[in-house]
Amino acid sequence: MSIDWGAFLIVAITTWISALLIVCAYSFGVRLLAVARDEHRHEQLNRAGAFASFGVCGLIVLFGIVLIVPVLSRNILGI
Amino acid sequence: MDLTLIVVLVIALALFFDFTNGFHDTANAMATPIATGAITPKKAVLLAAVLNLVGAFLSTEVARTISGGIIKEGDSGVLISPEMIYAGLMGAVLWNVLTWLLGLPSSSSHALFGGLIGAAIVGAGFGAIDGGVLMSKVLLPALCAPLIAGVSAYMCTKMAYAITKRQAGASPKRGGFRYGQIFSSSLVALAHGTNDAQKTMGVITLTLVAAGMQEAGTGPHFWVIATCAFAIALGTYTGGWRIIRTMGSGLTDVKPAQGFSAEVSTASAILASSHLGFALSTTQVASGSVIGSGLGRKGAAVRWGTAGRIGLGWLFTLPAAAVVGAVAALVMRLGASGTVIVSVLGVGILLLFWILSRREVVGHDNAISDIDTSGSAVKIRSKKERRKLARAAEAAAKAKKKAELGGKK
Repeated sequence: MSIDWGAFLIVAITTWISALLIVCAYSFGVRLLAVARDEHRHEQLNRAGAFASFGVCGLIVLFGIVLIVPVLSRNILGI
Repeated sequence: MDLTLIVVLVIALALFFDFTNGFHDTANAMATPIATGAITPKKAVLLAAVLNLVGAFLSTEVARTISGGIIKEGDSGVLISPEMIYAGLMGAVLWNVLTWLLGLPSSSSHALFGGLIGAAIVGAGFGAIDGGVLMSKVLLPALCAPLIAGVSAYMCTKMAYAITKRQAGASPKRGGFRYGQIFSSSLVALAHGTNDAQKTMGVITLTLVAAGMQEAGTGPHFWVIATCAFAIALGTYTGGWRIIRTMGSGLTDVKPAQGFSAEVSTASAILASSHLGFALSTTQVASGSVIGSGLGRKGAAVRWGTAGRIGLGWLFTLPAAAVVGAVAALVMRLGASGTVIVSVLGVGILLLFWILSRREVVGHDNAISDIDTSGSAVKIRSKKERRKLARAAEAAAKAKKKAELGGKK
């Protein structure tokens, strides 16, 4: 009986890194938006930063959809 | 027994299994957004159903590798007969409906594997089961799934709260996580559609091949894909509200930032596992995420009693479905009369479960009672503020007492 510990580790690490990245980006978005609303310094900058963070999130989610749909992943990623 | 009749019976039961699969797993994607009020219960199940339907059409890769080698088939192995598949499905369906009645999120795939394994043991003895594959494909992932997802959700929740924490007085506006929740839970629902509807397609295709009605090695027919997609979508739309209650408010109270972390962890774990070849159960991943996120948020408590009951349910899923599958397979040996007995008994038990479920109806309106709709409620007051509030309340009470005493005089 062989248990593929390597595969297990890879799945664990990929999960942790990708989840942390998404949550990190979204959290910064939420924070910057909150700051932009009630601290009136650099309002535009904060707001832009917030939407950039949400954009990063959206991109990662799009990548997730590409992974889910075989037709897309074959054509775009070549796997 | 007439081959066509048994094939029709298998297809009907397989579609019903697909339906139970759908309503069992609505909770995985939609329990946390419903619990935080990110999306209304009715809209949530509709969204999940549509995404499941779309997902089922998007991919048929899993359907091709369904039995996954746990049962040795082919020349040197067991010849799988439609009767065996029927018995196995019966085990899976009965266990799925029982766990729904108890409100336990349990893995539908484990139930399916269990039922088929039980039936195969009766049909061909213990030699039909590949223990190593069983260990590495079912038991180990069952331990790993909640661990990976739980750790991920714990870290994400901690980080989300740390990043959005602001100096005293300023509102962190964590309600913004609700919008994110809609997307993250949609991703889980879509991934579920591409995975779980496939299992039923695989079973039906396996039956058609076994009955000699389809060439071996060909993909599922279009009508199989379509009926399976609709069965799972219908099941999802019906919503397993009992399980949504357990996942959304039974394990821990979920707040938006925490719910978002849990869903992102679930989605990441499912995607990573299905693409790196270590298949994890969606249900177990989702439960692990909810528990992990509960541990990560300050002031949230995890109800370990409920978690323990769920864990016990997982432990029993495979063996229990296997026992039912084995008993059904034994009775099926009687031939036509056996098939009739299994079918009548199965429908009878399902009816009994349904009647039992009517004693306490759980629906979209009461699945989660304290839906927290106000964004400001998410804010957890600092110790200083709490002390201040307590002092103010005490002073007010004292003043009131004084006033009352004064009034009496």
